[in-house]
Amino acid sequence: MRRIPAIIFSILILIAAPHVLKSQTKGRYVLSGQVTDSYDEPLAGASVYIRGHIKDGTSTDSNGYFSLELPDTKKIIIEASFLGMKPYTVEFTGQKEILIVMEDDANMMESAIVMGKQNINDLDIRAKAGVINSVDMDRLQDRPVMDLSLSLQGSAPGLIVTNRGDLGTKPEIRIRGNSSFRKGDVANEPLYVLDGQVISSDAFMTLNPLDIADIKILKDAVACALYGTKAANGVLEITSVRGTSGDTMVTYDFNGGVTFRGRRGVQMMETDEKLELERRLKNIEAPGYRYSEDYYRRYFARDPNLDQMIAEGKAILDGLRQTNTDWFKELLRNDFYQRHNLSVRGGNNKTSYYASANYSYQGGQVPGNDVNRFTGRMSLDQAVGTKGFVSLSVSGGYSKANSPNGSTYSPTSLIYELNPYESKTSGELFSYPNRTYNDLVYQFDRTSTEKRFGTTASINLEPLEGLTIGAVAGLDFVLSESLEFTPSTAYEEQRSGAAKNELGKISKSKNTNSNVTTNVRVTWNRTFGKHDVTLGANTDYYWDNMDNMSVTGYGVGQLKSMAAINQSIEGNRKVSTSNFREKTAQLGIGLLGGYCYDGIYDIFGTYKADASSILPKDKRWNAAWAVGVGWNVKDYAFMKDWDPISALRIKASYGRTASLAGVSPSLTVGTFSYLEDSYGDIRLLELMALYNDRLKPEQTVSTEVGISMGLFNRLTIDVGWYDRRTEDALLDVPIPASNGFTTLKRNIGILSNSGLETTLSARIIDRSDFRVNLRLSLAYNRNKVIDLYDGDRLYTSEDTIIPDYEVGQAYDMIYGPISLGLDPMSGLPVFKGADGREIQATEKLTREDMVPLGHSVPPYNGTINLSFTYKQLEFDADFYYVFGGIKTYAYAYVRDYDDANRNAVRGQVQNMWFQKGDENKIYHTPFYSSSAIENLTMWPNSRSIGSSDYLRLSMLSLRYRFPHSFIKKLGGIVKYGNVAIQASNLFTLTRYKESDPESGSFVGAQQPILTFNLSLSF
Amino acid sequence: MKKYISYILSLLLLSGCLDIKLEDQYSDPDAISTTSTARELLASAYNSLPRHQLEFSILSDDFVTTNLTGKYAERLNLYNWKEKDMEDLSDYVWNEYYMTVAIVNALLPRLDNVTPKDEEDKLELDKIRCEAKTLKAMCYFDLLRLYAPAYSEANLLKDGIILKNRLELDFLPRSSVRDCVTEIDRLLTEAASVENQDTEVFYLSTTAVMALRAEFELYRNAYDKAVLAGLPLLADAQARWTKSDYENLWADNISADRLFAQYIFDSFYTDLCYDKATGDYFVLNPDITYDDADLRKDWAAYTVNMNGGQIQTLGKYNRMYYDNVTVRYINTLRYSGVCFTVAEAYARDLQYDKARQTVNTYLEAYGAQPLDDKLEGEDLVEAILLEKQKEFAGEGVRLFDLKRHGKALVKKGNFGMGTSVTIYPDDYRWLLPIPQSEYKYNDNITQNNPGWPFIKTE
Repeated sequence: MRRIPAIIFSILILIAAPHVLKSQTKGRYVLSGQVTDSYDEPLAGASVYIRGHIKDGTSTDSNGYFSLELPDTKKIIIEASFLGMKPYTVEFTGQKEILIVMEDDANMMESAIVMGKQNINDLDIRAKAGVINSVDMDRLQDRPVMDLSLSLQGSAPGLIVTNRGDLGTKPEIRIRGNSSFRKGDVANEPLYVLDGQVISSDAFMTLNPLDIADIKILKDAVACALYGTKAANGVLEITSVRGTSGDTMVTYDFNGGVTFRGRRGVQMMETDEKLELERRLKNIEAPGYRYSEDYYRRYFARDPNLDQMIAEGKAILDGLRQTNTDWFKELLRNDFYQRHNLSVRGGNNKTSYYASANYSYQGGQVPGNDVNRFTGRMSLDQAVGTKGFVSLSVSGGYSKANSPNGSTYSPTSLIYELNPYESKTSGELFSYPNRTYNDLVYQFDRTSTEKRFGTTASINLEPLEGLTIGAVAGLDFVLSESLEFTPSTAYEEQRSGAAKNELGKISKSKNTNSNVTTNVRVTWNRTFGKHDVTLGANTDYYWDNMDNMSVTGYGVGQLKSMAAINQSIEGNRKVSTSNFREKTAQLGIGLLGGYCYDGIYDIFGTYKADASSILPKDKRWNAAWAVGVGWNVKDYAFMKDWDPISALRIKASYGRTASLAGVSPSLTVGTFSYLEDSYGDIRLLELMALYNDRLKPEQTVSTEVGISMGLFNRLTIDVGWYDRRTEDALLDVPIPASNGFTTLKRNIGILSNSGLETTLSARIIDRSDFRVNLRLSLAYNRNKVIDLYDGDRLYTSEDTIIPDYEVGQAYDMIYGPISLGLDPMSGLPVFKGADGREIQATEKLTREDMVPLGHSVPPYNGTINLSFTYKQLEFDADFYYVFGGIKTYAYAYVRDYDDANRNAVRGQVQNMWFQKGDENKIYHTPFYSSSAIENLTMWPNSRSIGSSDYLRLSMLSLRYRFPHSFIKKLGGIVKYGNVAIQASNLFTLTRYKESDPESGSFVGAQQPILTFNLSLSF
Repeated sequence: MKKYISYILSLLLLSGCLDIKLEDQYSDPDAISTTSTARELLASAYNSLPRHQLEFSILSDDFVTTNLTGKYAERLNLYNWKEKDMEDLSDYVWNEYYMTVAIVNALLPRLDNVTPKDEEDKLELDKIRCEAKTLKAMCYFDLLRLYAPAYSEANLLKDGIILKNRLELDFLPRSSVRDCVTEIDRLLTEAASVENQDTEVFYLSTTAVMALRAEFELYRNAYDKAVLAGLPLLADAQARWTKSDYENLWADNISADRLFAQYIFDSFYTDLCYDKATGDYFVLNPDITYDDADLRKDWAAYTVNMNGGQIQTLGKYNRMYYDNVTVRYINTLRYSGVCFTVAEAYARDLQYDKARQTVNTYLEAYGAQPLDDKLEGEDLVEAILLEKQKEFAGEGVRLFDLKRHGKALVKKGNFGMGTSVTIYPDDYRWLLPIPQSEYKYNDNITQNNPGWPFIKTE
């Protein structure tokens, strides 16, 4: 995507209106001309010279004009250079005049003569048949979001990123949906590769976006096959920024701004409405009833002081009416965002280097929730003789996330529970009897830190022409620590019944994850006339070590320290330690072959055999292979000169990969580990799981067809269709309890993900000083259960009547009965049965009465990227949209008799059924019998769901690049600079009435952030 | 060039081997290769033994409800034998017993891979094997008593329980009561094959096997065999029934009356008490009374202030809970239990004198009133069972005796006032239901115990 500006500029040079140039002739061969920037502004002081003879060159005058004497030879290369601009080269062919339009070098990337390509699997040949999307890093870096994974949302069709909660929580990242029946990251997460080194998803989250030059999303079998069985869920290939050959450039980049509270999920009641609701719900725990006239008349009807009591009650209620707290504003906050980034790049033809340091901070919506991050990175590329180079990179990071959310009460859920007539200082709360506000907050705190260190070394050699040998070895290490603390003063601790010296809980965990990668690859490429042949082979080794340790202790009082644990405690508050270690390794051997005829036909195939330590010896070797064909229609002679079609390429691929994601040794052979407890003085050795000696790796079969077309050099359309089938899909399935265990991981069936991905890019206006670009993308994914080996339906819980997986159906489908609305007589919903009859809420529904209500995972998503450039001003906006899915309403904020003492949704008094004859109500009666509970709570119905479609303005950036005339005034210290206003997630449009349509919870909608950005290069 | 090749070769060398030994886990084929790891695996089987003493006592007539029971609806329902709550209990019970069976099944074949170092090690290996079999027999015996009809000639071919002989996934049908009894008999016989005496009370010694055998023989109406197995254990029993032994039993100290106690070292039996200041959900059935001279009175019963008066509730673990005592011993098999087994066997075998004598030795040791010399026949059996209830109240034993005895169970109202519900001997609920977690996924289970729902979705 970085190439887009480059392409635009080169086109500009071709089509820019020719200027009348003055020439100042002197000598026999004199070349005259003008140097301007891309906005037609003349550049004064630019150097123009013959390559290799910079000292004999000249520089432009105040209007950008120059004349240069040339020796009496043709075929020489003229170069022009200017601070902050990319060097310009042109071949001298005897022309007299020349216009040199120099291009801004925004962050020096494009000019870099990248010597090192550390990721030796990143072969260009893959792209001819495989599907590889590049992320537009400029746009990604424009987005003020701390978390790199979240900023990837919408950056490539088919890459689906979903926020899951509070700031600092790892989002869900999937390429083309879940490839397994098993839910969760372990089985479905893509593979992350940084400069050829496998890293964990946690490590990826801590990377600094400004250190990244390129992220490639590998989606189909051909693109992924070089990574073998590790790549069944797709690959994110990250390439870091490297040095340049040129002057040393120091860049400082600053972002500072504000984070906002964000969208209000549900409007809650104000005091008057709440008190009225309480009166109607008739629960004496709630003051609206307890102090109402109704209450006194009912319970003290004959009391002589009745009138006085009523008057006193009214006074109390009037007192409560004085308070009207908006807990949304009270509990959430606006905070700050800042990012400082300093980088140094430079080098020469032999050596180049890059170093950077970064500090970022983002404050969350809830006080006490924030994320801090420091990162550092260094890389060095060194040519070795004339036939190769070595590359080294070292990077490290430290990030810290604080969270005040405990398991008991999260401040975000309190927004929807505390009453408007309560305040932080109002003493004992009605919503939480026996507690004050301070008994709800400051009950818990958690700090989690991640420390990452990674180093990669690689060698690239070309000992003979066409033969390249590459080797890469690296280590990536992440230490994740978390400290959770509940002080002895916390409400739960105080009431736990434990002795005084046993109060206060602390637990600390340290999880280390180390990845080692080595990969050696030999590639041979030769062209014989129209035939181009590539052959290659590699061997790689991946080693992964997980070491998780944790200690939990009590009796720390108010000291947040492990040293304060009371080690004399016995019983259930005794100190406990636990440790889990798992080492796995994978050895692979791969072959590849590619053939291209006349640049028109491509065929490419790979085969890789991987052996994994996870499986027993006899099943250790598994294969991943893929073949792809590419057809470059545009390269036919008759097409070449036909302008309307500027590019046309058709691709197809097919491949098969085994996958071991989420499989651990204890699932295939008997594995035993120690428990924390003991029996007498004997330790407990536990059988970890019921193993399945017939367990096979899942097999992913991918088919892909794609077409890419350019029209009039202005419009590019990419359309791709894919089908990814997972055979022998694994799932923990229920087994008869007489086996001792209730689930067993088994190969249970076949599922498929298929879909369509389209991207349309258009250069709508394309003038030298005014450009408008638009990019639209849309991805559709449909998942389906193709086969289940044991019958047509699979239930993972014995209580449900709705199968979790059913042949022919999508596995993210939400089922429930059709609701015909509330019965005005009973106030309970009436359902439509399969046979068309009306079913009362108190009757039992059957499987046949359940209909598919919609997908829980939205099948459609896409982006709209808009760019305007006018002279030095750049405007970019990214919209992200999702549609086709539903989410169920939890109605957690709708109160009935039992929880009348907590605040309720605005309008509940109007919309709830209270008495016989109430019609057109939304919420069912608050006084229902237990026989209706199942139908009201066990499953959603057609009226308790809402569309989770949304459109979000995910990024907005307005940048002004300082013109060279201004930069010159700064005295040459600053070579390049710009300022910008940048924003992320400014608004979300949705019809979803409850919380956040993305995370589906009240907690943790993505925060809007507005920042000011300044970037200066010296 | 040579230089480069050497670089590449050194990189290739990094590609190590794939046989990675797990550092904190033992993995097959040689996971269990020493007697100490075998003992550690067996310890997890002991540890997994289900602990439903409280629930079984609630189902029996050891307890009555109080003014607080309504605050714990599930337990009140269980007291009244409500179907749904019994199904829920059955689900736990079934799963947990079969978990213990699974661990034993994991252990037994792996013991064959253990090569003992010396004679002592070999003996330890044999003991482990015997204890594992005893544990399995215990589980089967409990399951059989809970899920199958009471033992009788007429019920021999009726459905018993699932007999699981290996760890691997199986979809097994229920075996007949006769086959189950044969299997338990076999396991107990094999378990007694090696002398295993000088062991801690947390492990099942040969004596424990004999005690279990006596109970088992009484269950299958083999009274002479029950006496044969139990009597030798009572030879020096009087010396075990001292005041201090009884106190120690319920003060969590070493007691000579214990034959086998499951180790726990945690709080236990915490669910009887609603709140130390307010009282218990259930209290001791007022029919269970101890004479003032009876030295068990102070420990088996406990007086609390509740509902505006002094109420006698369960002592034992409940008292330990009130006193904040962490429990280490769950008294599972006791010499006093053997005494009642032998006495009942004698009584049913029409040897009334011996029956009375056996029980009276025990009662006198604790200062309780001996049985009336005139008691005979069914009355004697009844009296023995009543004394047994006094001894084992709250320990989950009574339910099995009631079922075996085939008498109506009267569930009283709050604090023993009136009758809440009566469970007649022919009630279907004497057999716990096979849980859904079994029959839903096991095509070889085609029906539930009579009277219980059987809902298969497919």
